[in-house]
Amino acid sequence: MSTRKRKEKAWYALFTLPLVLIFTTVVIVPFLIGIGYSFVEWDGIPANPKVFVGFDNYAELLKDERFLASAWHTIEFTVLALVLVNLFGLIFSLIVTTKLRVRNAARTMFFLPNLIGGLILGYIWQFIFTDVFKYVGEKTGLQSIFFNWLIDPQFALYAMVVVFTWQMAGYTMIIYIAGIQGIPDELNEAAKVDGANLWHRLTRIVFPLLMPSFTICLFLTLSGAFKIFDVNLSLTKGGPNNATEMFAMNIYNEIFGYGHYGLGQAKAIVFFVIVAAVTLTQVVITKKREVQF
Amino acid sequence: MKKVKRLSVLLTATTMVGLLAACGNSSGGNAESGSPSASGASPAASSSAAPEKLKKISLFQSKVEIAESLEALAKTYQKETGNEVEVWGSAGDAYATQLQAKLASGEGPTIFSVATGEEAEKFKSYYADLSNEPFTKDIAPNMALKDGDKVVGVPYGVEGFGLVYNKSLVDPKDVTDLDSFTKTLEKLKAEGKNGLSLSQEAYFLIGHIINTPFALQSDPQGFIEKLNKGEVKMADTKEFQEFAKFMEAIKANTPNPMEVKYDTQMGDFATGKTAMVHQGNWSYGMLKDYGDLGFDIGMMALPLAGNDKIAVGVASNWVVNAKADPDEIKAAKAFLNWLFTSETGKNAIVNEFKFIPAMTNIEATNLDPLSQTVYEATKSGQTIPWALNYFPQGIIVNDLAPAAQQFFLDKNMTGEQFLKNLDAAWAKGAK
Amino acid sequence: MKTMSRTAGNGLLVLLALAFLSPIYLMLVNSFKNRAELYRNALALPSSFSFQYYDKAMEKMSFFTAFGNSLYVTIVSVVIVVVLASMTAWMLVRTDDKLSRIIFLVFVSTMLIPFQTLMMPLMQVMDWIRTNLHIPMLNTREGLIYMNVGFHASMAVFLYHGFIKSVPVALEEAATLDGCSKFGVFWRIVFPMLKTITITVAILDVIAMWNDYLLPSLTLSDKGLRTIPLSTFYFFGEFTIQWNLAMAGLTLTIIPVVIFYIFAQKYIIKGIAAGAVK
Repeated sequence: MSTRKRKEKAWYALFTLPLVLIFTTVVIVPFLIGIGYSFVEWDGIPANPKVFVGFDNYAELLKDERFLASAWHTIEFTVLALVLVNLFGLIFSLIVTTKLRVRNAARTMFFLPNLIGGLILGYIWQFIFTDVFKYVGEKTGLQSIFFNWLIDPQFALYAMVVVFTWQMAGYTMIIYIAGIQGIPDELNEAAKVDGANLWHRLTRIVFPLLMPSFTICLFLTLSGAFKIFDVNLSLTKGGPNNATEMFAMNIYNEIFGYGHYGLGQAKAIVFFVIVAAVTLTQVVITKKREVQF
Repeated sequence: MKKVKRLSVLLTATTMVGLLAACGNSSGGNAESGSPSASGASPAASSSAAPEKLKKISLFQSKVEIAESLEALAKTYQKETGNEVEVWGSAGDAYATQLQAKLASGEGPTIFSVATGEEAEKFKSYYADLSNEPFTKDIAPNMALKDGDKVVGVPYGVEGFGLVYNKSLVDPKDVTDLDSFTKTLEKLKAEGKNGLSLSQEAYFLIGHIINTPFALQSDPQGFIEKLNKGEVKMADTKEFQEFAKFMEAIKANTPNPMEVKYDTQMGDFATGKTAMVHQGNWSYGMLKDYGDLGFDIGMMALPLAGNDKIAVGVASNWVVNAKADPDEIKAAKAFLNWLFTSETGKNAIVNEFKFIPAMTNIEATNLDPLSQTVYEATKSGQTIPWALNYFPQGIIVNDLAPAAQQFFLDKNMTGEQFLKNLDAAWAKGAK
Repeated sequence: MKTMSRTAGNGLLVLLALAFLSPIYLMLVNSFKNRAELYRNALALPSSFSFQYYDKAMEKMSFFTAFGNSLYVTIVSVVIVVVLASMTAWMLVRTDDKLSRIIFLVFVSTMLIPFQTLMMPLMQVMDWIRTNLHIPMLNTREGLIYMNVGFHASMAVFLYHGFIKSVPVALEEAATLDGCSKFGVFWRIVFPMLKTITITVAILDVIAMWNDYLLPSLTLSDKGLRTIPLSTFYFFGEFTIQWNLAMAGLTLTIIPVVIFYIFAQKYIIKGIAAGAVK
């Protein structure tokens, strides 16, 4: 009995330990060191002194209005992005798993935006929001919709949502496709024979069986949106007037812009705790709704 | 079945690799093979009677524009002396961050560049003393990067900014003070031209143009210190009050800079739609992509509070990493010496890097018109300093730019309010 | 009637996809223009389709060296991630105890940490490993692979974890009774059933690693080690970008991934056909 148990444990270790060890050295240990830094005052230069200041950094960040504002922008952005990314991802995945002839081409096309990252992405979209929108507005007279979004604090945030959705929809699409293809064809066919319409088939069969995919996609979008940095930097640089400065960018600026390493780390820890609480709740809730085979 | 077997073999192999990698120490021997890149062990191409074989060094710097020429120069250096310099790549924006991370990894570069001012201050604990190196005596007066009395950095070269103008649209005689400046803008606007263009990037929107009122203070550095402590306010200082009026004139008579990117700014200038841009000699690199412009260009001072001088300063410096191995430091000094004293090196600085030299032993030739203006101003001393180098770290991008964005987006904001906002932004950024 | 609606559906889909792709159109056309032409009209087709900027970009990037580096790093990293993460996730699902749940939660929650805050400590840990264990983690492709595996472990475990639950335990139990070891059970029974999600993980990780700039920029310094995204640095100046070269470079960067994707998704479709047997 005990040898069997020991054997089980050995298998467990053999299967999990390699990855856990790599993961620990690359992610966990640096993260713990980061927690340590949140209690010191330091400019981030290894050769310069670190002064222990206790919870001072934490006290200070609560007074940092800009940080609080950036947290609010991040929440606003995340909620919008979450809805749109998943809506589009799901629609795309449903479209490309139909029998339409162009589905394969469409699948590739929806997926392509994922591949453009960084500075170029920002430039291309800057161009669209600044020049193309203005042009369309002038031509169509719809200047209340088509104007330079990037110089309006609220619309600049929407612009980020648009770009993020454009990038991520194809990403979630892939995961939804994997989920949809796991649904046995017979189920759908049987429902069709029974005369269920498309909407019924979707809500009664497809969506419940897609719950694991929802859990995953919601979580991935959530973590992606909370951590957003690239698009922020290349599209708006946090402007105008800091209206689109998201959380990750605020931390980055604190650490590398101002050289307040400890304060930046403290911000990161606080946000991590909050976000982890929110997202893990989400995972737990959606997991409960998953249908187990 | 066969497939499965192959898979499990692969798996076992990978797991083993994973385990080994994770346990590390035991497999140190084979992993070691990856490291000679860092040591100078590899034999150089030329082994012929080189006076002394120096250790291979690495070089990391921020100016992407010179990266290729620098790599070519490193090759030439190896041919001439047998010593190796590995040039690392960096993307402009992220340079300081990458440098910081690389220094933290204990694998920092031997030679690196730092921007004068706060960035230089930040990395101060890494500089080797260069005071006794032969090439430092040739650095133009007041141009060396110093830590106390020690010379720790050699300037790349000098750069200057001011009003870059289209000679067929603007006569410098019409831009001598606030009044004439405003009139010129109004006149050009009436003609359907854009009088002056700033652009949305933090430095081009506010960082450079706000340098002028700072530089005109009798003691710019002292003024900045007082400002940091809250002892003075921009709103109460004459030069800044006039600066605010200049900004009002710009806002009233020119397109919103928030809608203008550096690319469009220079494109509009190159095609004659814009008469003046507040820019530096570096912008010539962009203009030359447009071929023959069909007009002459020049650079003049921003005529604020009687100012008639362009702002000239050292943007970047070479420094040697004092935390590197002593042999590498020695090799690094030898390379810098070669760069600034050998004919090949000096030639590269002027003709390949296209720098305006800040060394007395290097003569500038074939300069573009903007650089020529800067060079002449430097020689005659008709310059104002780059006070912005002494601004608190990160303040231009993080605090001043948002205040300026607000000013340009809010049609009703007056220059006075703008100054107050700048004061508030400064107080936040300087904490 | 049916064919008509189908044609309309196809047409609509094409339109939607094209609208979705307009930014990519901008990327492509502008890789053929010089600065003046780009300034005049970024939307228009280029005046000539000469591949000079592609040639130049390839030369400056040392394209083939960089391509080799990217290929090596990406493939090895993805294979290791797939192998280790699927094994780990399977164990975590099948051994449903406290430890497993904690490990899973740790994996998942760390996905929320912004990389920027891990950067500096990570470099210090790698330095520690180098000085104390004498393994060169920095400035080697293998070191980058190691870190890639660490950073992509979470998501892969998360994805596998979600899908392994839908694999019937009964088959595994039967195999165990037949005398298969855990290894055998996993590789013969479970892993083949995870094909769809394996390909999904592979696609997502290939994209992420192939395009990654930040991590390689911190860990690889030598010119000969540069991956494709790193080697495009020449085009990104402090204040401006050489758009044509940058866009040509970007196009060159993504073509291999697009090919990989098209190939991989065919595999997914085959996967369903085969899956019908189960």
